[in-house]
Amino acid sequence: MEWRQLRKTVSVRSWLRDFGAGCIDIFKGAGGISYLFANTCVLMTSKKIRWKATLDQMNKIGVMSLPLVFLTMLFTGMVLALQSAYQLRLFSAEKFTSDLISVSLCRELGPVLTAMVVAGRVGASIAAELGTMKVTEQIDALESLATNPVQYLVVPRFIAGLFMLFILTIYADVIGMFGGYLISVFKLGMSSHMYIKRGIDALMVKDVVTGLIKAFFFGGIITVVGCYFGFNARGGAEGVGRATTLAVVVSLIMVIASDALFSALFYFF
Amino acid sequence: MIQIQGLHKWFGTQHVLRGVDLTIQEGETVVIIGRSGCGKSVLLKHIMAILEPDQGDIKIDGRSMFSMAPDEQDQFRLQLGMLFQGAALFDSLTVRDNVGFSLIEHTKLSENTVDEKVREKLGLVGLEGVEELMPASLSGGMKKRVGLARAICNEPKIILYDEPTTGLDPINADVINDLILRMQKQLKVISIVVTHDMTSAYKVADRIAMLYEGRIIAVGTPDEIRRSPDPVVQQFITGSAHGPITNHSKKEMEQL
Repeated sequence: MEWRQLRKTVSVRSWLRDFGAGCIDIFKGAGGISYLFANTCVLMTSKKIRWKATLDQMNKIGVMSLPLVFLTMLFTGMVLALQSAYQLRLFSAEKFTSDLISVSLCRELGPVLTAMVVAGRVGASIAAELGTMKVTEQIDALESLATNPVQYLVVPRFIAGLFMLFILTIYADVIGMFGGYLISVFKLGMSSHMYIKRGIDALMVKDVVTGLIKAFFFGGIITVVGCYFGFNARGGAEGVGRATTLAVVVSLIMVIASDALFSALFYFF
Repeated sequence: MIQIQGLHKWFGTQHVLRGVDLTIQEGETVVIIGRSGCGKSVLLKHIMAILEPDQGDIKIDGRSMFSMAPDEQDQFRLQLGMLFQGAALFDSLTVRDNVGFSLIEHTKLSENTVDEKVREKLGLVGLEGVEELMPASLSGGMKKRVGLARAICNEPKIILYDEPTTGLDPINADVINDLILRMQKQLKVISIVVTHDMTSAYKVADRIAMLYEGRIIAVGTPDEIRRSPDPVVQQFITGSAHGPITNHSKKEMEQL
């Protein structure tokens, strides 16, 4: 009996079936997210935008993420200073700490870390909010009142996400460099003037701009993915929980994957 | 007039509606009865065009909403009002903004006119002084009434009720039944009520239709339905645990 059960669970056929079902889910998700993205862009340009709701979302997505981004980037900047100084000391090149911090923050760490903490905080809250609206039929109620749920719920979040990630990233870059400053000046004995001057000199316009372009896209990804999983929640509290988890996991993966893609693009062009 | 013709709907492999045919005349109240999960709410959502059928069509005054452009569909939809099962009030908005939602969204009425209309509709459902409350602080019966006020705010020609009395105590349920009858009398609308509460069905219906296994198996006045020879209908309206419905679902369970 046990052997038969074991054979059932490890049979090639059931494995293939699960694998196939998984693949279908992935393609369904990819299609759904792309469709929602396209739909959002069309509605954003063709219908009037709700600025009041958008400002409200900007507050929720941007302003309320400030403390979290502050702490994350402050510590990241400090760690970055310590770790790079530790390595650079081997070549007596500690003065390059500042260059290293500012370039790596603006090109990579600022946008990506900001996107990750925002994905956790905002992506989850969007998915949970829309998911609850879905399972309590509020989304159907919107439609029954002749209001397009994408226009009413997604567009304001999408626009807020685009702009707020952009602004949060600038803020994150500055805070990160400030964290590095604290360590470099008060712990490693670098002069304040030198840290600032070297940091700014090392930065090129391209470094800052590529980071900000990334941030813009990350904002779009996080909000659209959160909305997609919220809209597709079903089956009560458990469904909302699953939607929230999926929203965070998928948006994190997409942020990292698109970061790799962008880094490659910017490297070659 | 609403004509539902050969409506089919699949959810994945589940064949929920299997050819629903029903015609509803002007000014009529039709109650659709059936077991939980037999597709009654799905049918209502098709009438509202929130769901699209896989086959078949629904014509309202001779026009099908499924073949309209999105903007036209939205315009048309304002002629319909729907009361959802759990009322589905928007919990981020006050009662006033909930009830006046479509006025605020789709008309350019002044704040004062909206206030006035909202007060009037809340008065119709017997509520006052709740405009500034949030939905979370209302009781179940009040939520349903606010939901009904929201549904009638556009002065629709058709009102759809999705299990209006479910989850309410008998007194509140009867209050809702009275409201349905009053809406009918005052606004002269078509009402479609989906329920499995037979007391409510007998009280409000001009005609009762029974949905079973994705089809309408019986239509008639409450008296005709009471006297129906069909054993399935009889089992449902008498609420017996033994009969063709339960035998059938037992068989289905065994097959699984």
